[in-house]
Amino acid sequence: MIAEISDLHFSYGSVRALDGINLNLGEGAVGLLGPNGAGKSTLLRILLGFLAPQRGSGRVLGFDIRLEQNRIRRHVGYMPEDDCLIPGMDAVTFTAHFGELSGMPRQEAMKRAHDVLYYVGLGESRYRKLEEYSAGMKQRLKLAQSIVHDPRLLFLDEPTSNLDPQGRKEILELIQDISSKKDIHVLISSHILPDIETVCSEVVILNKGRLASQGKLAELRELNYRLYEIRIKGDGDGFGAKIKALGCRVEETEDKLIKAYVPADLDTREIFRVAREENVQVRHFVRSRTSLEDLFARSVGVD
Amino acid sequence: MTIREKGYAHWDGQLKERRFSWAPITGLGIRLAFRKKYFKFILFSSLVPAVVFLAGIYISERIQDFQYMLRGNRQFLEVNPLYFKNYLCGDFLLFMMVMILVVGGAGLISDDLKHNSLQLYFSRPLSKSGYLIGKANVIVFFLLLLTLVPGLLFIVFKLLFAGSFRFLADYPWLPLAVIGYSLFVTGFFCAYTLLLSSLSKNRRYVSILIFAVYLLSNILFGFFYENYKKPAYALLSLSANLQQVGAWFFRLKPAYAVPWYWSLAVLLAFALAAAVVLNRKIRGVEVVK
Repeated sequence: MIAEISDLHFSYGSVRALDGINLNLGEGAVGLLGPNGAGKSTLLRILLGFLAPQRGSGRVLGFDIRLEQNRIRRHVGYMPEDDCLIPGMDAVTFTAHFGELSGMPRQEAMKRAHDVLYYVGLGESRYRKLEEYSAGMKQRLKLAQSIVHDPRLLFLDEPTSNLDPQGRKEILELIQDISSKKDIHVLISSHILPDIETVCSEVVILNKGRLASQGKLAELRELNYRLYEIRIKGDGDGFGAKIKALGCRVEETEDKLIKAYVPADLDTREIFRVAREENVQVRHFVRSRTSLEDLFARSVGVD
Repeated sequence: MTIREKGYAHWDGQLKERRFSWAPITGLGIRLAFRKKYFKFILFSSLVPAVVFLAGIYISERIQDFQYMLRGNRQFLEVNPLYFKNYLCGDFLLFMMVMILVVGGAGLISDDLKHNSLQLYFSRPLSKSGYLIGKANVIVFFLLLLTLVPGLLFIVFKLLFAGSFRFLADYPWLPLAVIGYSLFVTGFFCAYTLLLSSLSKNRRYVSILIFAVYLLSNILFGFFYENYKKPAYALLSLSANLQQVGAWFFRLKPAYAVPWYWSLAVLLAFALAAAVVLNRKIRGVEVVK
Protein backbone atom coordinates (compact mmCIF):
# COMPACT_ATOMS: atom_id res chain seq x y z
CA MET A 1 0.00 0.00 0.00
CA ILE A 2 1.56 3.33 -1.00
CA ALA A 3 -0.86 5.54 0.88
CA GLU A 4 -3.60 5.06 3.44
CA ILE A 5 -5.92 7.88 4.35
CA SER A 6 -8.57 7.80 6.98
CA ASP A 7 -11.42 10.28 7.52
CA LEU A 8 -9.52 13.21 6.00
CA HIS A 9 -11.15 16.63 6.30
CA PHE A 10 -9.94 19.94 4.99
CA SER A 11 -11.69 23.28 4.48
CA TYR A 12 -10.58 26.57 2.95
CA GLY A 13 -12.49 28.85 5.29
CA SER A 14 -16.13 27.91 4.84
CA VAL A 15 -15.49 25.93 1.66
CA ARG A 16 -15.17 22.24 2.36
CA ALA A 17 -12.50 20.79 0.07
CA LEU A 18 -12.22 17.28 1.52
CA ASP A 19 -15.02 15.75 3.47
CA GLY A 20 -14.13 12.52 5.21
CA ILE A 21 -11.97 10.83 2.58
CA ASN A 22 -10.97 7.23 3.24
CA LEU A 23 -8.51 5.79 0.76
CA ASN A 24 -6.08 2.98 0.28
CA LEU A 25 -3.87 3.54 -2.73
CA GLY A 26 -2.38 0.41 -4.23
CA GLU A 27 0.93 0.01 -5.99
CA GLY A 28 1.61 0.88 -9.60
CA ALA A 29 -0.02 3.77 -11.40
CA VAL A 30 -3.13 5.26 -9.82
CA GLY A 31 -5.26 7.90 -11.51
CA LEU A 32 -6.85 10.67 -9.49
CA LEU A 33 -9.93 12.00 -11.24
CA GLY A 34 -12.59 14.53 -10.48
CA PRO A 35 -14.18 17.68 -11.81
CA ASN A 36 -12.80 21.09 -10.88
CA GLY A 37 -13.14 21.69 -7.16
CA ALA A 38 -13.39 17.99 -6.38
CA GLY A 39 -10.43 18.15 -4.02
CA LYS A 40 -7.73 16.44 -6.10
CA SER A 41 -5.07 19.10 -5.70
CA THR A 42 -5.92 19.55 -2.03
CA LEU A 43 -5.47 15.82 -1.52
CA LEU A 44 -2.07 15.87 -3.24
CA ARG A 45 -1.02 18.89 -1.20
CA ILE A 46 -2.02 17.22 2.04
CA LEU A 47 -0.17 14.06 1.08
CA LEU A 48 2.93 16.18 0.47
CA GLY A 49 2.49 18.11 3.68
CA PHE A 50 1.82 21.51 2.06
CA LEU A 51 -1.47 21.64 3.93
CA ALA A 52 -2.28 20.17 7.32
CA PRO A 53 -5.57 18.26 7.48
CA GLN A 54 -8.07 19.58 9.99
CA ARG A 55 -9.20 16.08 10.85
CA GLY A 56 -8.21 12.57 10.00
CA SER A 57 -4.93 10.82 9.51
CA GLY A 58 -2.88 9.22 6.82
CA ARG A 59 0.35 7.55 5.89
CA VAL A 60 2.36 7.81 2.68
CA LEU A 61 4.94 5.06 2.11
CA GLY A 62 4.43 4.23 5.77
CA PHE A 63 5.22 7.75 7.00
CA ASP A 64 2.69 9.80 8.93
CA ILE A 65 1.41 12.79 6.91
CA ARG A 66 1.26 14.98 10.01
CA LEU A 67 4.52 14.07 11.72
CA GLU A 68 6.92 12.82 9.07
CA GLN A 69 6.50 15.23 6.20
CA ASN A 70 10.21 15.56 5.55
CA ARG A 71 10.61 11.81 5.23
CA ILE A 72 7.68 11.68 2.83
CA ARG A 73 9.17 14.46 0.71
CA ARG A 74 12.53 12.76 0.61
CA HIS A 75 11.02 9.70 -1.04
CA VAL A 76 8.35 11.38 -3.14
CA GLY A 77 8.76 13.23 -6.41
CA TYR A 78 6.30 15.98 -7.25
CA MET A 79 5.53 17.41 -10.65
CA PRO A 80 3.25 20.43 -10.18
CA GLU A 81 0.62 21.50 -12.64
CA ASP A 82 1.81 25.11 -13.00
CA ASP A 83 4.92 26.17 -14.84
CA CYS A 84 7.69 26.56 -12.33
CA LEU A 85 11.36 27.28 -12.80
CA ILE A 86 14.19 29.36 -11.45
CA PRO A 87 15.24 32.01 -13.96
CA GLY A 88 18.84 32.53 -14.94
CA MET A 89 19.91 28.91 -14.90
CA ASP A 90 20.11 25.96 -17.25
CA ALA A 91 18.29 22.65 -16.95
CA VAL A 92 21.28 20.76 -15.55
CA THR A 93 21.81 23.24 -12.70
CA PHE A 94 18.07 23.38 -12.03
CA THR A 95 17.61 19.62 -11.90
CA ALA A 96 20.79 19.06 -9.88
CA HIS A 97 19.74 21.76 -7.42
CA PHE A 98 16.54 19.93 -6.57
CA GLY A 99 18.44 16.67 -6.36
CA GLU A 100 20.74 18.30 -3.81
CA LEU A 101 17.78 19.64 -1.86
CA SER A 102 16.41 16.10 -1.69
CA GLY A 103 19.62 14.94 -0.03
CA MET A 104 21.88 13.91 -2.92
CA PRO A 105 25.59 14.82 -2.75
CA ARG A 106 26.35 17.65 -5.19
CA GLN A 107 28.51 15.67 -7.61
CA GLU A 108 26.02 12.83 -7.70
CA ALA A 109 23.13 15.22 -8.23
CA MET A 110 24.94 16.81 -11.16
CA LYS A 111 25.67 13.44 -12.75
CA ARG A 112 22.15 12.22 -12.22
CA ALA A 113 20.71 15.46 -13.63
CA HIS A 114 22.39 14.73 -16.96
CA ASP A 115 20.95 11.21 -16.98
CA VAL A 116 17.36 12.20 -16.23
CA LEU A 117 17.46 15.09 -18.69
CA TYR A 118 18.51 12.68 -21.42
CA TYR A 119 15.80 10.33 -20.24
CA VAL A 120 13.02 12.90 -20.59
CA GLY A 121 14.34 14.04 -23.97
CA LEU A 122 16.07 17.28 -22.98
CA GLY A 123 19.61 16.02 -23.44
CA GLU A 124 20.42 18.31 -26.33
CA SER A 125 19.01 21.44 -24.70
CA ARG A 126 20.16 20.86 -21.17
CA TYR A 127 22.50 23.87 -21.18
CA ARG A 128 19.95 26.31 -22.53
CA LYS A 129 18.50 28.97 -20.22
CA LEU A 130 15.16 27.86 -18.81
CA GLU A 131 13.47 31.09 -19.89
CA GLU A 132 13.98 29.98 -23.50
CA TYR A 133 12.18 26.67 -23.02
CA SER A 134 8.88 25.96 -24.77
CA ALA A 135 5.82 24.84 -22.79
CA GLY A 136 6.47 21.22 -23.70
CA MET A 137 10.10 21.41 -22.64
CA LYS A 138 9.11 22.94 -19.31
CA GLN A 139 6.75 20.02 -18.80
CA ARG A 140 9.58 17.56 -19.41
CA LEU A 141 11.85 19.54 -17.12
CA LYS A 142 9.29 19.31 -14.32
CA LEU A 143 9.23 15.56 -14.80
CA ALA A 144 13.05 15.48 -14.72
CA GLN A 145 13.26 17.37 -11.43
CA SER A 146 10.64 15.08 -9.92
CA ILE A 147 12.63 11.91 -10.68
CA VAL A 148 16.17 13.19 -10.18
CA HIS A 149 16.41 11.78 -6.65
CA ASP A 150 14.95 8.44 -7.71
CA PRO A 151 11.76 8.65 -5.65
CA ARG A 152 9.69 5.67 -4.62
CA LEU A 153 6.46 7.51 -5.33
CA LEU A 154 5.65 10.16 -7.92
CA PHE A 155 2.84 12.69 -7.69
CA LEU A 156 2.08 14.02 -11.15
CA ASP A 157 -0.38 16.88 -11.40
CA GLU A 158 -1.72 17.20 -14.96
CA PRO A 159 1.49 15.86 -16.51
CA THR A 160 0.34 16.19 -20.12
CA SER A 161 -1.15 19.67 -20.03
CA ASN A 162 0.32 22.15 -22.56
CA LEU A 163 1.64 19.35 -24.74
CA ASP A 164 1.05 18.65 -28.40
CA PRO A 165 -0.18 15.12 -29.26
CA GLN A 166 3.32 13.82 -29.94
CA GLY A 167 4.71 15.34 -26.74
CA ARG A 168 1.77 13.94 -24.80
CA LYS A 169 2.37 10.49 -26.19
CA GLU A 170 6.04 10.64 -25.26
CA ILE A 171 5.37 11.82 -21.71
CA LEU A 172 2.81 9.04 -21.25
CA GLU A 173 5.36 6.53 -22.50
CA LEU A 174 7.87 7.82 -19.97
CA ILE A 175 5.33 7.59 -17.16
CA GLN A 176 4.42 4.09 -18.25
CA ASP A 177 8.08 3.14 -18.36
CA ILE A 178 8.65 4.54 -14.87
CA SER A 179 5.58 2.99 -13.31
CA SER A 180 5.37 -0.36 -14.99
CA LYS A 181 8.96 -1.50 -15.10
CA LYS A 182 10.85 0.40 -12.47
CA ASP A 183 8.95 -0.20 -9.22
CA ILE A 184 8.15 3.46 -8.78
CA HIS A 185 4.54 4.08 -7.85
CA VAL A 186 2.75 6.93 -9.56
CA LEU A 187 -0.29 8.96 -8.57
CA ILE A 188 -1.55 10.98 -11.54
CA SER A 189 -4.09 13.72 -11.21
CA SER A 190 -5.51 14.55 -14.62
CA HIS A 191 -8.52 15.86 -16.44
CA ILE A 192 -7.58 13.98 -19.57
CA LEU A 193 -9.34 10.68 -19.10
CA PRO A 194 -7.69 8.82 -21.99
CA ASP A 195 -4.30 9.56 -20.37
CA ILE A 196 -5.40 7.94 -17.16
CA GLU A 197 -6.85 5.04 -19.10
CA THR A 198 -3.54 4.59 -20.93
CA VAL A 199 -1.30 4.65 -17.90
CA CYS A 200 -3.24 3.64 -14.81
CA SER A 201 -4.56 0.35 -13.60
CA GLU A 202 -6.39 1.86 -10.65
CA VAL A 203 -8.46 5.03 -10.33
CA VAL A 204 -9.76 7.18 -7.54
CA ILE A 205 -12.63 9.49 -8.40
CA LEU A 206 -13.37 12.43 -6.15
CA ASN A 207 -16.47 14.57 -6.30
CA LYS A 208 -17.25 17.56 -4.09
CA GLY A 209 -14.60 16.55 -1.59
CA ARG A 210 -15.90 13.03 -1.24
CA LEU A 211 -14.75 9.73 -2.60
CA ALA A 212 -17.07 8.93 -5.50
CA SER A 213 -15.43 5.73 -6.64
CA GLN A 214 -12.22 3.79 -6.22
CA GLY A 215 -10.73 0.56 -7.45
CA LYS A 216 -9.05 -1.30 -10.25
CA LEU A 217 -10.21 0.08 -13.54
CA ALA A 218 -11.17 -3.36 -14.84
CA GLU A 219 -13.13 -4.22 -11.70
CA LEU A 220 -14.95 -0.90 -11.63
CA ARG A 221 -16.03 -1.42 -15.18
CA GLU A 222 -17.42 -4.81 -14.28
CA LEU A 223 -18.84 -4.34 -10.84
CA ASN A 224 -20.67 -1.09 -10.74
CA TYR A 225 -22.84 -1.37 -13.82
CA ARG A 226 -23.02 -2.62 -17.34
CA LEU A 227 -23.43 -0.27 -20.24
CA TYR A 228 -25.81 -1.21 -23.05
CA GLU A 229 -26.45 0.63 -26.26
CA ILE A 230 -30.05 0.39 -27.38
CA ARG A 231 -31.93 1.51 -30.48
CA ILE A 232 -35.68 1.32 -30.54
CA LYS A 233 -38.59 2.00 -32.85
CA GLY A 234 -41.60 3.57 -31.17
CA ASP A 235 -42.27 5.97 -28.26
CA GLY A 236 -38.91 6.41 -26.54
CA ASP A 237 -40.13 8.63 -23.70
CA GLY A 238 -42.24 6.07 -21.93
CA PHE A 239 -39.62 3.36 -22.49
CA GLY A 240 -36.90 5.61 -21.09
CA ALA A 241 -38.94 6.56 -18.04
CA LYS A 242 -39.73 2.94 -17.23
CA ILE A 243 -36.16 1.68 -17.46
CA LYS A 244 -35.08 4.62 -15.31
CA ALA A 245 -37.61 3.38 -12.77
CA LEU A 246 -35.77 0.03 -12.82
CA GLY A 247 -32.65 1.81 -11.53
CA CYS A 248 -30.87 2.41 -14.82
CA ARG A 249 -29.28 5.69 -15.77
CA VAL A 250 -30.30 6.60 -19.28
CA GLU A 251 -28.66 8.93 -21.77
CA GLU A 252 -29.75 9.57 -25.31
CA THR A 253 -27.31 10.67 -27.98
CA GLU A 254 -28.13 12.97 -30.87
CA ASP A 255 -28.59 10.06 -33.25
CA LYS A 256 -31.21 8.53 -30.94
CA LEU A 257 -28.88 5.94 -29.46
CA ILE A 258 -29.91 5.14 -25.90
CA LYS A 259 -27.09 4.43 -23.47
CA ALA A 260 -28.38 2.54 -20.46
CA TYR A 261 -26.20 2.04 -17.40
CA VAL A 262 -27.70 -1.11 -15.99
CA PRO A 263 -27.11 -2.00 -12.31
CA ALA A 264 -25.15 -5.19 -11.81
CA ASP A 265 -28.09 -7.01 -10.17
CA LEU A 266 -30.69 -6.13 -12.78
CA ASP A 267 -31.67 -8.83 -15.22
CA THR A 268 -31.49 -7.42 -18.75
CA ARG A 269 -34.66 -9.30 -19.68
CA GLU A 270 -36.47 -6.65 -17.61
CA ILE A 271 -35.57 -4.13 -20.31
CA PHE A 272 -37.21 -6.27 -22.96
CA ARG A 273 -40.26 -6.70 -20.72
CA VAL A 274 -40.56 -2.91 -20.47
CA ALA A 275 -40.19 -2.62 -24.25
CA ARG A 276 -43.06 -5.06 -24.71
CA GLU A 277 -45.23 -3.16 -22.22
CA GLU A 278 -44.49 0.14 -23.97
CA ASN A 279 -45.01 -1.42 -27.34
CA VAL A 280 -41.62 -0.44 -28.69
CA GLN A 281 -39.41 -2.52 -30.90
CA VAL A 282 -35.83 -3.12 -29.76
CA ARG A 283 -33.72 -3.06 -32.90
CA HIS A 284 -30.28 -2.88 -31.38
CA PHE A 285 -29.14 -4.12 -27.98
CA VAL A 286 -25.38 -4.35 -27.55
CA ARG A 287 -23.23 -4.47 -24.46
CA SER A 288 -20.68 -1.69 -24.71
CA ARG A 289 -17.22 -1.58 -23.15
CA THR A 290 -17.41 1.16 -20.56
CA SER A 291 -14.80 3.81 -21.03
CA LEU A 292 -13.27 5.68 -18.14
CA GLU A 293 -15.28 8.61 -19.33
CA ASP A 294 -18.49 6.64 -18.76
CA LEU A 295 -17.27 5.55 -15.35
CA PHE A 296 -16.34 9.09 -14.47
CA ALA A 297 -19.68 10.48 -15.63
CA ARG A 298 -21.51 7.80 -13.70
CA SER A 299 -19.52 8.42 -10.53
CA VAL A 300 -19.78 12.17 -10.43
CA GLY A 301 -23.25 12.32 -11.90
CA VAL A 302 -22.45 14.47 -14.91
CA ASP A 303 -22.77 13.85 -18.65
CA MET B 1 21.79 2.65 -27.40
CA THR B 2 20.93 6.09 -25.99
CA ILE B 3 20.02 6.65 -22.36
CA ARG B 4 16.46 7.39 -23.48
CA GLU B 5 16.16 4.04 -25.19
CA LYS B 6 17.64 2.23 -22.24
CA GLY B 7 14.79 3.53 -20.14
CA TYR B 8 14.67 4.81 -16.61
CA ALA B 9 17.55 3.78 -14.40
CA HIS B 10 17.59 3.81 -10.63
CA TRP B 11 20.15 5.87 -8.74
CA ASP B 12 22.22 3.59 -6.57
CA GLY B 13 23.24 6.18 -3.98
CA GLN B 14 21.74 6.92 -0.60
CA LEU B 15 19.80 10.10 0.14
CA LYS B 16 21.22 11.86 3.18
CA GLU B 17 19.55 13.94 5.84
CA ARG B 18 21.36 17.25 5.66
CA ARG B 19 22.08 19.13 8.85
CA PHE B 20 21.80 22.36 6.90
CA SER B 21 19.08 21.65 4.38
CA TRP B 22 19.30 25.26 3.21
CA ALA B 23 22.93 25.03 2.09
CA PRO B 24 22.16 24.26 -1.60
CA ILE B 25 19.87 27.31 -1.75
CA THR B 26 22.63 29.56 -0.44
CA GLY B 27 25.24 28.08 -2.76
CA LEU B 28 23.01 28.49 -5.79
CA GLY B 29 21.98 32.01 -4.79
CA ILE B 30 25.61 33.11 -4.54
CA ARG B 31 26.50 31.53 -7.89
CA LEU B 32 23.49 33.13 -9.58
CA ALA B 33 24.30 36.54 -8.09
CA PHE B 34 27.73 36.48 -9.72
CA ARG B 35 26.09 35.78 -13.08
CA LYS B 36 24.07 38.99 -12.86
CA LYS B 37 25.00 42.02 -14.91
CA TYR B 38 27.04 44.64 -13.02
CA PHE B 39 27.04 42.59 -9.82
CA LYS B 40 30.77 41.88 -9.82
CA PHE B 41 31.46 45.52 -10.60
CA ILE B 42 29.32 46.72 -7.68
CA LEU B 43 30.78 44.16 -5.32
CA PHE B 44 34.37 45.08 -6.13
CA SER B 45 33.53 48.80 -6.02
CA SER B 46 32.13 48.22 -2.54
CA LEU B 47 35.47 46.84 -1.47
CA VAL B 48 37.30 50.03 -2.44
CA PRO B 49 36.68 51.74 0.95
CA ALA B 50 38.09 48.66 2.68
CA VAL B 51 41.29 48.99 0.64
CA VAL B 52 41.50 52.71 1.43
CA PHE B 53 40.99 52.14 5.16
CA LEU B 54 43.54 49.33 5.11
CA ALA B 55 46.02 51.68 3.45
CA GLY B 56 45.16 54.20 6.19
CA ILE B 57 46.15 51.65 8.83
CA TYR B 58 49.47 51.06 7.07
CA ILE B 59 50.11 54.80 6.78
CA SER B 60 49.23 55.34 10.44
CA GLU B 61 52.05 52.97 11.36
CA ARG B 62 54.52 54.64 8.97
CA ILE B 63 53.43 58.16 9.81
CA GLN B 64 56.90 59.61 9.45
CA ASP B 65 57.17 58.44 5.85
CA PHE B 66 53.87 60.06 4.91
CA GLN B 67 54.20 63.34 6.84
CA TYR B 68 54.04 65.40 3.64
CA MET B 69 50.59 64.00 2.79
CA LEU B 70 48.91 64.68 6.11
CA ARG B 71 49.23 68.48 6.45
CA GLY B 72 47.92 68.54 9.99
CA ASN B 73 45.17 65.89 9.54
CA ARG B 74 46.90 63.44 11.79
CA GLN B 75 43.79 62.66 13.82
CA PHE B 76 42.22 61.30 10.65
CA LEU B 77 44.71 58.48 10.67
CA GLU B 78 44.40 57.60 14.31
CA VAL B 79 43.29 53.98 14.34
CA ASN B 80 40.78 53.74 17.15
CA PRO B 81 37.11 52.68 17.49
CA LEU B 82 36.05 55.81 15.60
CA TYR B 83 38.17 54.68 12.66
CA PHE B 84 36.27 51.37 12.62
CA LYS B 85 32.93 53.10 13.03
CA ASN B 86 33.75 55.46 10.18
CA TYR B 87 34.33 52.48 7.92
CA LEU B 88 31.46 50.24 9.04
CA CYS B 89 28.82 52.96 9.50
CA GLY B 90 30.00 55.17 6.67
CA ASP B 91 27.38 56.47 4.25
CA PHE B 92 29.30 55.15 1.26
CA LEU B 93 29.51 51.59 2.58
CA LEU B 94 25.83 51.59 3.59
CA PHE B 95 24.91 52.90 0.15
CA MET B 96 27.00 50.23 -1.58
CA MET B 97 25.40 47.57 0.61
CA VAL B 98 22.01 48.76 -0.59
CA MET B 99 23.26 48.62 -4.19
CA ILE B 100 24.33 45.02 -3.66
CA LEU B 101 20.87 44.25 -2.32
CA VAL B 102 19.30 45.98 -5.32
CA VAL B 103 21.23 43.89 -7.83
CA GLY B 104 21.82 40.65 -5.97
CA GLY B 105 19.00 40.39 -3.44
CA ALA B 106 15.87 41.75 -5.08
CA GLY B 107 14.98 38.55 -6.91
CA LEU B 108 15.66 36.16 -4.05
CA ILE B 109 12.00 35.60 -3.23
CA SER B 110 10.19 37.59 -5.90
CA ASP B 111 11.59 35.36 -8.67
CA ASP B 112 10.37 32.28 -6.87
CA LEU B 113 6.94 33.85 -6.45
CA LYS B 114 6.83 34.89 -10.09
CA HIS B 115 7.88 31.51 -11.40
CA ASN B 116 5.91 29.40 -8.88
CA SER B 117 9.01 27.64 -7.69
CA LEU B 118 8.11 27.70 -3.98
CA GLN B 119 6.13 24.50 -4.45
CA LEU B 120 9.22 22.81 -5.88
CA TYR B 121 11.29 23.86 -2.87
CA PHE B 122 8.66 22.71 -0.40
CA SER B 123 8.16 19.39 -2.13
CA ARG B 124 11.68 18.68 -0.88
CA PRO B 125 12.61 17.97 2.75
CA LEU B 126 12.91 21.68 3.43
CA SER B 127 11.03 23.76 5.98
CA LYS B 128 9.88 27.34 5.58
CA SER B 129 12.59 28.51 7.95
CA GLY B 130 15.16 26.48 6.00
CA TYR B 131 14.10 28.18 2.80
CA LEU B 132 14.31 31.64 4.37
CA ILE B 133 17.66 30.92 6.00
CA GLY B 134 18.99 29.69 2.65
CA LYS B 135 17.87 32.89 0.94
CA ALA B 136 19.02 35.14 3.79
CA ASN B 137 22.45 33.55 3.79
CA VAL B 138 23.05 34.76 0.25
CA ILE B 139 22.77 38.30 1.60
CA VAL B 140 24.72 37.38 4.72
CA PHE B 141 27.60 36.11 2.56
CA PHE B 142 27.95 39.33 0.59
CA LEU B 143 27.35 41.76 3.44
CA LEU B 144 29.75 40.04 5.82
CA LEU B 145 32.29 40.19 3.02
CA LEU B 146 31.97 43.96 3.22
CA THR B 147 31.70 44.36 6.98
CA LEU B 148 32.98 41.52 9.11
CA VAL B 149 35.86 40.42 6.88
CA PRO B 150 37.40 43.90 6.41
CA GLY B 151 36.68 44.79 10.06
CA LEU B 152 38.59 41.79 11.36
CA LEU B 153 41.32 42.23 8.73
CA PHE B 154 41.82 45.82 9.93
CA ILE B 155 42.50 44.55 13.43
CA VAL B 156 44.85 41.81 12.20
CA PHE B 157 46.77 44.20 9.94
CA LYS B 158 46.94 46.84 12.65
CA LEU B 159 48.59 44.27 14.91
CA LEU B 160 50.90 43.11 12.10
CA PHE B 161 51.93 46.61 11.07
CA ALA B 162 52.39 47.71 14.68
CA GLY B 163 54.29 44.56 15.59
CA SER B 164 52.67 44.48 19.02
CA PHE B 165 49.40 43.69 20.75
CA ARG B 166 49.15 47.13 22.28
CA PHE B 167 46.14 48.04 20.14
CA LEU B 168 44.22 44.99 21.29
CA ALA B 169 45.20 45.66 24.89
CA ASP B 170 43.79 49.21 24.56
CA TYR B 171 40.53 48.06 22.95
CA PRO B 172 40.01 44.42 23.89
CA TRP B 173 36.27 44.66 23.12
CA LEU B 174 36.80 45.94 19.57
CA PRO B 175 36.73 42.52 17.80
CA LEU B 176 33.42 41.79 19.51
CA ALA B 177 32.09 45.20 18.50
CA VAL B 178 33.08 44.54 14.87
CA ILE B 179 31.48 41.12 14.93
CA GLY B 180 28.37 42.37 16.74
CA TYR B 181 27.76 45.37 14.51
CA SER B 182 28.51 43.42 11.31
CA LEU B 183 25.98 40.76 12.29
CA PHE B 184 23.46 43.40 13.31
CA VAL B 185 23.62 45.42 10.11
CA THR B 186 23.64 42.23 8.03
CA GLY B 187 20.67 40.84 9.93
CA PHE B 188 18.72 44.03 9.44
CA PHE B 189 19.45 44.20 5.73
CA CYS B 190 18.47 40.52 5.37
CA ALA B 191 15.07 41.23 6.89
CA TYR B 192 14.77 44.42 4.83
CA THR B 193 15.55 42.71 1.53
CA LEU B 194 13.56 39.54 2.08
CA LEU B 195 10.54 41.56 3.19
CA LEU B 196 10.59 43.76 0.10
CA SER B 197 11.42 40.81 -2.16
CA SER B 198 8.34 38.97 -0.92
CA LEU B 199 6.02 41.90 -1.63
CA SER B 200 6.13 41.72 -5.41
CA LYS B 201 6.54 39.11 -8.13
CA ASN B 202 8.44 41.63 -10.22
CA ARG B 203 12.14 41.81 -9.46
CA ARG B 204 12.46 45.29 -10.97
CA TYR B 205 9.80 46.70 -8.67
CA VAL B 206 11.59 45.12 -5.73
CA SER B 207 14.91 46.63 -6.84
CA ILE B 208 13.28 50.04 -7.02
CA LEU B 209 11.62 49.50 -3.64
CA ILE B 210 14.87 48.51 -1.95
CA PHE B 211 16.56 51.61 -3.25
CA ALA B 212 13.60 53.95 -2.84
CA VAL B 213 12.72 53.02 0.75
CA TYR B 214 16.32 53.53 1.82
CA LEU B 215 16.65 56.81 -0.06
CA LEU B 216 13.23 58.12 0.91
CA SER B 217 13.89 57.48 4.59
CA ASN B 218 17.03 59.62 4.30
CA ILE B 219 15.26 62.34 2.33
CA LEU B 220 12.44 62.50 4.89
CA PHE B 221 14.95 62.73 7.70
CA GLY B 222 16.91 65.44 5.89
CA PHE B 223 13.78 67.44 5.14
CA PHE B 224 12.37 67.39 8.66
CA TYR B 225 15.72 67.79 10.37
CA GLU B 226 16.66 70.82 8.29
CA ASN B 227 13.29 72.46 8.87
CA TYR B 228 12.58 71.65 12.50
CA LYS B 229 16.06 70.87 13.85
CA LYS B 230 14.76 68.06 16.02
CA PRO B 231 17.21 65.12 16.30
CA ALA B 232 14.33 62.70 16.87
CA TYR B 233 13.70 62.81 13.12
CA ALA B 234 16.83 60.68 12.79
CA LEU B 235 14.54 57.79 13.65
CA LEU B 236 12.98 58.18 10.18
CA SER B 237 16.24 57.38 8.43
CA LEU B 238 17.42 53.80 8.06
CA SER B 239 21.05 54.80 7.70
CA ALA B 240 20.91 57.21 10.65
CA ASN B 241 19.39 54.49 12.82
CA LEU B 242 22.11 52.05 11.80
CA GLN B 243 24.74 54.69 12.58
CA GLN B 244 23.18 55.43 15.98
CA VAL B 245 23.28 51.73 16.90
CA GLY B 246 26.78 51.48 15.42
CA ALA B 247 27.95 54.26 17.72
CA TRP B 248 26.78 52.22 20.69
CA PHE B 249 28.62 49.13 19.48
CA PHE B 250 31.85 51.15 19.22
CA ARG B 251 31.29 52.96 22.53
CA LEU B 252 31.04 56.36 20.88
CA LYS B 253 28.67 59.24 21.25
CA PRO B 254 25.82 58.91 18.73
CA ALA B 255 25.71 61.56 16.01
CA TYR B 256 22.18 62.64 16.97
CA ALA B 257 20.88 63.36 20.43
CA VAL B 258 18.47 60.43 20.39
CA PRO B 259 18.98 57.38 22.60
CA TRP B 260 20.55 54.57 20.56
CA TYR B 261 17.97 52.11 21.84
CA TRP B 262 15.20 54.04 20.14
CA SER B 263 16.99 53.49 16.86
CA LEU B 264 17.44 49.86 17.81
CA ALA B 265 13.71 49.61 18.54
CA VAL B 266 12.84 51.10 15.12
CA LEU B 267 15.11 48.65 13.31
CA LEU B 268 13.90 45.68 15.35
CA ALA B 269 10.28 46.65 14.70
CA PHE B 270 11.06 46.68 10.99
CA ALA B 271 12.66 43.24 11.26
CA LEU B 272 9.71 41.92 13.25
CA ALA B 273 7.26 43.18 10.64
CA ALA B 274 9.40 41.47 8.00
CA ALA B 275 9.22 38.18 9.90
CA VAL B 276 5.42 38.39 10.17
CA VAL B 277 4.97 39.22 6.48
CA LEU B 278 7.40 36.53 5.36
CA ASN B 279 5.64 33.96 7.48
CA ARG B 280 2.37 34.80 5.76
CA LYS B 281 3.72 35.13 2.23
CA ILE B 282 5.94 32.07 2.00
CA ARG B 283 3.83 28.98 1.47
CA GLY B 284 4.14 25.82 -0.53
CA VAL B 285 0.80 26.53 -2.14
CA GLU B 286 -1.23 29.61 -2.76
CA VAL B 287 -4.41 29.15 -0.81
CA VAL B 288 -7.30 31.12 -2.24
CA LYS B 289 -10.06 31.38 0.34
